[in-house]
Amino acid sequence: MRRWAVAAGMGFALTLAAPAETLAQTRPDFSGTWRISQSKSSRNVFGNTPDIQFPSQLDVKQSATDIAVTATSVRQQPVSATYKLDGSKVNVQSPAGITETGEAALNGSTLVITSRRSFSSPAGDVVVDFKEVWSVNGNELTVEKTRTQVGDTPSTQKAVYDKM
Amino acid sequence: MRTFQAFATVFLGVLIATASLQAHHSFSATYDGNKPITLRGKIVKLGWQNPHAHLYVDVTNADGKVVTWEVESAGPTTLMKQGLRKEDFVGQEVIIKGFLAKDGTPTVNASSFTLVDAKKEFVNDDKTQTP
Repeated sequence: MRRWAVAAGMGFALTLAAPAETLAQTRPDFSGTWRISQSKSSRNVFGNTPDIQFPSQLDVKQSATDIAVTATSVRQQPVSATYKLDGSKVNVQSPAGITETGEAALNGSTLVITSRRSFSSPAGDVVVDFKEVWSVNGNELTVEKTRTQVGDTPSTQKAVYDKM
Repeated sequence: MRTFQAFATVFLGVLIATASLQAHHSFSATYDGNKPITLRGKIVKLGWQNPHAHLYVDVTNADGKVVTWEVESAGPTTLMKQGLRKEDFVGQEVIIKGFLAKDGTPTVNASSFTLVDAKKEFVNDDKTQTP
């Protein structure tokens, strides 16, 4: 009877532990400093006429509940945010004159960040929506970014970052 | 007299080189990558020169006010490779996709533009797409 109880207890403990271990294995980790790779990224994210601007460096800190992202580019103001991984909306720290909110959520092995940016221009107020899908493979981070704006067809570009 | 001519030649050379360097600035120095913008308007003037062609486009704001935008595009050689001639621009309706200037003026760097009547998008490199 006692052996049976021990065996049952162990089985129950394993049942509890297994999903947690599976979750830990499938939960991607984006932490680190990532530098954009010109050779691995789309042509249209570089040079004097980028289609979609990608930051040249991403600094990412991830915990069980949050992911903090600081995006920096040459001669451009940094953009940073600490997203809650439950998908709740947060304010993005953007350069002066820009208002941005965003939300992030893990979707299987990818991280999906959606954001809405608004700013004024000589043509009036501008609102741009972005969707970023992040996936990590070893020391490579791939970011697929879609930009949508009123009066324009959405465009998507891909950038690949190497871990520093 | 010869010395004066030599000085004048060098001075002129420096002036031309400076103007050329100013015209060929980097994207990040002049434009704000955090401010993408799409504009629709009518081309009223064209600057067909290297290193960049400049389109001057009248855009009507939501309040009805017309603002003339300066649009920096690819150079004439790149545009000609995509089948464009300088006669193809003025008077045409255009949709421009690009980035705002950092200085807040109605100036934009075009990553692509679409001539509405031609129904063709011209990308600012050698790739051309049709919608």
